[in-house]
Amino acid sequence: MSRAERAVRPGGRTVEHLKSWLIMLPGLVLMAFFVWEPLFESVRMSLYKTRNVELVRFIGLDNFVSVTGKDDFLQALVNTFSYTFWSLLIGFGLPVLLSLLIGETTRGKSFFRTAVYLPNMLPGLAVIILWSAFFSGEKSGVLNILLSRLGIPAQTYLTRADWVIPILIIIATWKGAGSTALIYMAGMAGISPELYEAATIDGATVRQRIFHITLPAIRKLAGTLLILQIISVFQIMYEPMVLTKGGPDNASLSLMQLMWQYAFGGSMNYGKASAVAVIVTLILLAMTAVYSWLNRRESDWD
Amino acid sequence: MKKLSTALCMLLALSLILAACPAAAQDVGLIDAGLTCTITLGNWPSDTAPDAEKALFENYRAIMAVQYPNVTLVPDYYSYTLSNYVPMAKGGTAPSIFQPPFTDPQLLISQHLVGDVTDALEQFGVLDKFSPAYVEMLADENGRIYGLPRDGYVLGMHINIELFREAGLMTEDGLPMYPKTLQELAEYGQIIREKTGKAGLVFPASEAYGGWLFTNIAWNFGCVGENALEYQDEDGRWVCNFTSPQCIAAMEYIRDLRWKYDILNADATTTDWAGAHSLLGTGEAAMNFAADDSVDQPTANKGLPVEDFALVPFPAGEAGRYALAGGTCYMFSPDITPDQAIALMAYLKVLGKLPFLDESIIAGMRADYAAKRDRGAPVLPAISAWTDADYNAAKQAIVEEFSNVDMRLYSDFFGSLDDGSITLKSEEPVFAQQLYRELTAVIQRVITREGADVTKALQKAQDSFQEYLDDEINDY
Amino acid sequence: MKAIRHTGVIREYDLHARPVRIGYGFVIAACVLVTVFALFPILWVCLAGFKDLKEFLSSTSILPSVFDFGIFARTWDQLGIAKNYLNSLISVTGSVVCALIFNGLLGYGLGILKPKGSGVVRKLIMVSLLMPTTISIVPLFMNIQHLRLGNSFVPLWLSYGANAMYVILFTQFFESLPRSIIEASRIDGCDQLQVFFRIVLPLSRPICAVIAIFAVNAAWSDFLLPYLVLRGGERQTVMVRLFVFSTEQTVNADTMMRAVVFSMIPPIILFFIFQKQLTENTVSVGIKG
Repeated sequence: MSRAERAVRPGGRTVEHLKSWLIMLPGLVLMAFFVWEPLFESVRMSLYKTRNVELVRFIGLDNFVSVTGKDDFLQALVNTFSYTFWSLLIGFGLPVLLSLLIGETTRGKSFFRTAVYLPNMLPGLAVIILWSAFFSGEKSGVLNILLSRLGIPAQTYLTRADWVIPILIIIATWKGAGSTALIYMAGMAGISPELYEAATIDGATVRQRIFHITLPAIRKLAGTLLILQIISVFQIMYEPMVLTKGGPDNASLSLMQLMWQYAFGGSMNYGKASAVAVIVTLILLAMTAVYSWLNRRESDWD
Repeated sequence: MKKLSTALCMLLALSLILAACPAAAQDVGLIDAGLTCTITLGNWPSDTAPDAEKALFENYRAIMAVQYPNVTLVPDYYSYTLSNYVPMAKGGTAPSIFQPPFTDPQLLISQHLVGDVTDALEQFGVLDKFSPAYVEMLADENGRIYGLPRDGYVLGMHINIELFREAGLMTEDGLPMYPKTLQELAEYGQIIREKTGKAGLVFPASEAYGGWLFTNIAWNFGCVGENALEYQDEDGRWVCNFTSPQCIAAMEYIRDLRWKYDILNADATTTDWAGAHSLLGTGEAAMNFAADDSVDQPTANKGLPVEDFALVPFPAGEAGRYALAGGTCYMFSPDITPDQAIALMAYLKVLGKLPFLDESIIAGMRADYAAKRDRGAPVLPAISAWTDADYNAAKQAIVEEFSNVDMRLYSDFFGSLDDGSITLKSEEPVFAQQLYRELTAVIQRVITREGADVTKALQKAQDSFQEYLDDEINDY
Repeated sequence: MKAIRHTGVIREYDLHARPVRIGYGFVIAACVLVTVFALFPILWVCLAGFKDLKEFLSSTSILPSVFDFGIFARTWDQLGIAKNYLNSLISVTGSVVCALIFNGLLGYGLGILKPKGSGVVRKLIMVSLLMPTTISIVPLFMNIQHLRLGNSFVPLWLSYGANAMYVILFTQFFESLPRSIIEASRIDGCDQLQVFFRIVLPLSRPICAVIAIFAVNAAWSDFLLPYLVLRGGERQTVMVRLFVFSTEQTVNADTMMRAVVFSMIPPIILFFIFQKQLTENTVSVGIKG
């Protein structure tokens, strides 16, 4: 903010300040109630032994010790990173590719945009239930029907420990890739046509133009989307809950799902649930910090 | 299953209300004006409950007000869980009557957290009519009774006769040749798989459900008594044992069902209760471990004609013939006085839970059976909690009036309960749901990985569940 | 109407080269393939809805044996889903109103008024954006219970008034507004609230539309907090109902597919009405910033 702006901006006097704060107050109260206080409360609850909604007594880090000492936590932690890995492998490059492809089309461009965006509008829960029929291992499963047309015998999908996470990521990518592609397209639309013209005159091939002009232009955007994607993958919870119930043998159990199980899965142990939540928060904070640190270095180089 | 029984109760409630309203005003007379006390009633329908249910309970209250004008009924919306009940009972704030599942009575009785109603039952003349099958669940070692069953079920096996016929597994009488033992189950399943291409057995190995069914198989392999999956040691600590040779054998049996005999449905690990009934009901699987209270699922709900459906006893194992019996019971606060106990029995009598048939109860049963018959669900006798011959005969007569099935398809199941060839056993006593989850994880492992190490997987589940027991109960 | 021209990486003159023309053919083919992949599952679930349970579990054909629209009507009646639609409508409407007013006012404060100390709030909101909302669902649920707001739409509505993403979108949009207009109206004697409602809001139609569409879609699809808050009650929304079906196994698999179709119809209609706003560049403004 420049000095000049500061001089003319409204609310220069104390009363004005107060009034401005008063205008922001309802929003702030809601943010506090729905976001900040619960986050703070999570930390507090994670340090208590709880029974139902009551905090019984302060027990320090016992919840953390107990939660992290269990096999299912380790499994969920590994799974959550595995979700992230697959999500980056399958879901990160695809939108870029889609945006390059669709961006090149002329006739039907808006149709393609509409088509790939549509899955993103559908309710996530409906999407999971819909796809569960695709991956059914019975002969009536949609994939098995399609495979049988190719003469391939029926397979099972959700019973394979190694497949469930990639399958869930494919579903998530189906839903989300189109809308991400549109964001990239918007980014690419900002590239000046002269750059391409100039490159062409210099004799650059189409491939060279993509690698030297298009992709560098969306690098910063890709960085932002990357971190947003990681955060959203870390939230994965109802998807495995509905599709595989975390199975087989916890192969698709995510950290957030473990949290939900502690809280609402019968034992009502909100203290332990909060401990898991706090751990996830810390991991996310750490990753964000690393990201912004990397980003700063990059900006320095620019 | 809870959902189902709720739905059933609702249906019953609706029919009862239609039948009982006029009766309330005319037929009910004063019984005892001298009995003066206050009872608090758990599980009273909350404001958000369906109107029919609320009206039904108001009607009970009205009847009680006429019969026992000086007994005050205090509605309590309390819904039982073990963890919320224990502190209430210890603090003297438990409601006079509440409804625990069959898993908990023995635990509550042993810790003196429930009230004795033996004398009150005596006073109503029904003590000697209490079914011995339930005595084991609801009485202490001296035969004192602490609870009454609300509703119950016994685990058996559902059969899709169509597939048995297709596989040539029929007797000369035209009845399905169903497996009597777990070994036969594997063999017959294989025949069915070969002849029809369908699954011999649907095994719903998701969440707690797979482990629940597995416990019954484990009992039949001998996981009872000193090899029990769960027991209390001399110091009163709860201990679990999944690594006995019996339990390992039971789990190896499950593994063989998948890898040796290959008779399971394709997606066993994601198949749930409804999914299992769907596969049996639509002819995608021939057998399903399920109880007598869910016979309407494959038939009326999933479309299998009643004549193609049979209910048979749970297959016996090398070391036992157990069938899991479950349900919900009524139990009472440890602080109840003799007067309160009598008032509570009077209340249960109004609810139709004592062996007395009055018009409103008969009308309710008739409406329920008529509805079942119309929907295409088998009309079957309910398993009685009372050995009162007249009472049971009267009920049986009503069942027969509405019968829509060939009872030979059910006679072995019900016969095995009467002649004692099957031993009823309630669920493992503590934290059964968690126990089931742990066992389900093992099942999922052994049926999804061909070379899985059964003993190691069971050991892991045992360690994990033992830690849970220590956390939740031993160190409490 | 613009003439159709190649304005991407491939330019008009590239098409003179044969490899580029072939490559372009592949591009089109790939786009068609992607479109099929995106649309087929949606089409399929509609087709599957025509099957009854036996056909759904046994048939190895994508197409149903009969097209009987009556089966959808019967499921609609049987599930009594009209009531859930009404509940969803109430939930969505309140959520959108809250999303616009509360986040809008907060964005106005952060983007235009900028009172002393608001920088801290800005940072807090940026950090909140990075925290998944479900992460603190346990204490949030407890708070709602403590305030006895269970089984009510109020906490659901208000939760949309606390969305870091919407606040940031508003803030950035407001900052892009020409300050001169705002200054002018201040000099004319309008107080801050009047400026917001008379000047800022009318200028902010595009961002309001985008956030409203986002909020409608999010509120329609949301089910975790609604499930905890509205559990078992009369106020269940369509998505809560669907979630209950999937956890409590009370409906058959074929009925489930029709319920899925019902749950997708409103978002699809919304999409076709607002597809321009959704697929054009407005949306990306906030993310790029």
